[in-house]
Amino acid sequence: MRRRTFLQATTAALAAGAMPKLAFGQDNTITFGGSVPMTGAAAETGQNVLQGYQCAVKYINEEMGGAEIGGQSYQLDLNIFDDASDPARATTLIQRQVDEGISFFLGSFGSNIVLPTCSITEAAGRIMVQAGGGSDLIFTQGRKRVFGIFPRASQQFVSSVNMFTSLDPAVKTVSIIYTNDAFSEFQAKGARQTIEQAGIEVVDYIALPAGVSDVSNVLTTIRESAPDILVCTTHDQTSILIARQMVSTETNVPMLYQTLGPQTAAFRDALGNYANGVVTQAYWSERAPYSGSYFGSAADFAKYFRANFDRDLTYHMASGAACIVAYVEAAKQAGSLDLDAVRDGLDALDFECFYGRVRFTQDGDGDPDLLGPLLIQRQNGEMEVVAPPDGASAKPVYPAPTWQERA
Amino acid sequence: MTLFLQTTLNGLVLGGIYSLAAVGFSLVFGVLGIVNLTHGIFVVAGAYGALVLFAELGIDPLVGIVPIGLALFAVGYVYQRTIIQWAVSRASLVASLVVTFGVAMMARNGLQLVFGPDVHTITPSYSFLSIPLGPLRIDVVRIVALGASLVLLTVLALVLARTHFGRAIRATAQQPLAAELCGLNVKNLHGLTFGLGAAMAGAAGAIIGIVQPFTAASEVAWTLNAFIVVVLGGIGSPAGALVGGLLLGLINAYTAQYVGPSLTQAAMFLVLVLMLLVRPSGLLGNAFGESR
Repeated sequence: MRRRTFLQATTAALAAGAMPKLAFGQDNTITFGGSVPMTGAAAETGQNVLQGYQCAVKYINEEMGGAEIGGQSYQLDLNIFDDASDPARATTLIQRQVDEGISFFLGSFGSNIVLPTCSITEAAGRIMVQAGGGSDLIFTQGRKRVFGIFPRASQQFVSSVNMFTSLDPAVKTVSIIYTNDAFSEFQAKGARQTIEQAGIEVVDYIALPAGVSDVSNVLTTIRESAPDILVCTTHDQTSILIARQMVSTETNVPMLYQTLGPQTAAFRDALGNYANGVVTQAYWSERAPYSGSYFGSAADFAKYFRANFDRDLTYHMASGAACIVAYVEAAKQAGSLDLDAVRDGLDALDFECFYGRVRFTQDGDGDPDLLGPLLIQRQNGEMEVVAPPDGASAKPVYPAPTWQERA
Repeated sequence: MTLFLQTTLNGLVLGGIYSLAAVGFSLVFGVLGIVNLTHGIFVVAGAYGALVLFAELGIDPLVGIVPIGLALFAVGYVYQRTIIQWAVSRASLVASLVVTFGVAMMARNGLQLVFGPDVHTITPSYSFLSIPLGPLRIDVVRIVALGASLVLLTVLALVLARTHFGRAIRATAQQPLAAELCGLNVKNLHGLTFGLGAAMAGAAGAIIGIVQPFTAASEVAWTLNAFIVVVLGGIGSPAGALVGGLLLGLINAYTAQYVGPSLTQAAMFLVLVLMLLVRPSGLLGNAFGESR
């Protein structure tokens, strides 16, 4: 081979490798990149989100024969790595995938990971749709190619406060405990603001460090304040710790409301009957009255998931699957896999599926009116939707029985 | 006043757990000079062991301490006599730091492979009981944990002070060469000491499993806590671990109550730095250091 030919061929090969895999047209496969915590502190929920991604890919490939975009059929593929719940490792993995030319990214779990990784994809002009980061910082720093299935953290409390104000006897005081991290703090700030706007007094506003091992002293404060509702915007492990120590120290409040934790099997196993009466958020319920062309209804999604996957179904699986459904629907409506076209498609998306009506705000987070949380309360071992009233399957139990009465 | 007393009580109970979890680390550090970064793995392995015994055989975690301690003693002994011994003899003591770090990473992922990533808890019948002490309130599991910690620390102190095995360990720690010249098998004693440290960590893990939720990733925190306890209390003795643990528990509790719970870890590390500056050998000093 002549030297000039060799140089031309090499340059062309390098350039092709560096170009984003815009359409993956050669092998008719759309590859979604990203990382999730398969190990480490956030692994339990990370695995849930991952199985949501896998469920959507499996369904679209096997049951729908692939995704029909611009008159061509594509198979979906996942290129997801374990970030070990470590933002540093996640950024390395995402940068590598950006360098390899991946165009479409799915999010990790936890705002502390989503925030730095979405900065990388945004800077490279790639798209990320995620169901793991709710921090306001993800959506308020001018990014145009980052979309979140959930509303931003500070917008997540409107439906909760609507329920608080409807309770009888009237709620007068609330205490808030949060973890000092990017998601929990914003959610707590949003909660405080929304609660105070509703005329309810916030008597305690307590920050916990990440990885806390004892909350005895915090509960001493709660017993002294005796709020009507204790709101915890903490993650799974801390929520379990708080609930267990509340039971064992007989720290009773008329309503314990924990935004993360009570959805998990681990919470149910750790608390047993004491889990009854605890209120939590869920962004999806298999009893919700939504349906669409992917999976069918919410109940159909639950049925398909249980038939094909082994983990206990939580809303994180549905949220993960909704990310891929949103991508595919946006590309279908755009009729192209061009990055700008898909971005515009996501921006304009407004369609109903098993997850609900999917629409993003101008900042990229989920529309709080459509994708805000349902409120769930475990009643006699069943997760009942207690708010908003339109989709409720039961009325909230308030005041909840004391821990002794729940034994 | 009630708030202060409740805070003090909470701190002491938490400190008791810290003490037990750290004593094995302290012993290994004092006798072998090894900063064992696998320590947290032994703690978490003890918790998982207690979980399996409780869930599969219905054995209470406090009873499970015995088989768990024995199993981890064997694991610790073999681990020291092979991997750590090879690393130290072929390179230096510093190599053990790297080796234990690597083993901890592999073991953490191994535990996660076996038990999954989910949060686990152990819930014996007394998990949710509490004892009112006048206006104060304390949960039974923490009192049980404190009691078990004190018993195990006392037993270890007696073993070290009164038995031939304990004297041999102390002799090895103080003057390894002299101990060897007197006929002691120092390599074997190092293995036995490491095994004892692992057994104590496993026992602590069984107790911690009933007190708080855990995952494989929790091991990092327990290694770190053990390190702080040893720096505060001193190296090599159960008394040092007890003092360091109780001090750490009190710092944690007072900071949480009177400064802010989000600053507990900052306070712990501030005290750690101050202690290293002012009294690097800890409050009770190095139990074996004077004669070295």
